[in-house]
Amino acid sequence: MATQIIMDHSGDSRHQFNPDDAAALLEAEQRFNALMRDGYIAAVRSPSGDSTVTRKFDPKAEETLFVPRFVGG
Amino acid sequence: MSGQLPRYRAEAARRVLAAWRRFREFGFRSDREVRGLTLLKAWLSSEQLAQYRLHRHFDVTGCHSGKRYRIRYGVSMNVYELDSLGRPLVGRCFVPRDNLVAGDVMLAQKIGLETNERGVLLVAKTFSPRWRTIQ
Repeated sequence: MATQIIMDHSGDSRHQFNPDDAAALLEAEQRFNALMRDGYIAAVRSPSGDSTVTRKFDPKAEETLFVPRFVGG
Repeated sequence: MSGQLPRYRAEAARRVLAAWRRFREFGFRSDREVRGLTLLKAWLSSEQLAQYRLHRHFDVTGCHSGKRYRIRYGVSMNVYELDSLGRPLVGRCFVPRDNLVAGDVMLAQKIGLETNERGVLLVAKTFSPRWRTIQ
């Protein structure tokens, strides 16, 4: 199972999906694109623990974290 | 009924142990704060996690300049650029747009500096570091 984690006021919301299920994969891609349009930053973790930002939906990513865009404090 | 008593006791003991472990790790923090800190700890490198457990802050390296930054526990005015000796040089204030808990804010700041340093510094406001509160 793959997971999309969206930071929000509750801490985070998680959406799990089976990458082998075409319908679930489509839904996950649509969620990804909607969050990108809303200004979120998507980050994935490499096996070494480094985080990288991605702008394109990766169906193989096990965990994708969505961070709201930054503003000056 | 009497046969179920050991099972109830085991379940009660399990719950007490789980509550104790949560208190030892997170104190009296709310569920949402615990969720944020749990997510943060899952995404920190082993070095950053060890540093955070000791000091409630961790250091990151900016992806463009190679500069070191210290992220303290907090939701604003908690990021400091460090000099070559590890002393706070200037504060950099940038936060995620939404109202998030401390763990989420710190994780977002880490990801921002490690993956898009120039971008976050463009929106960040600077402030003078308060030396007494920095370790």
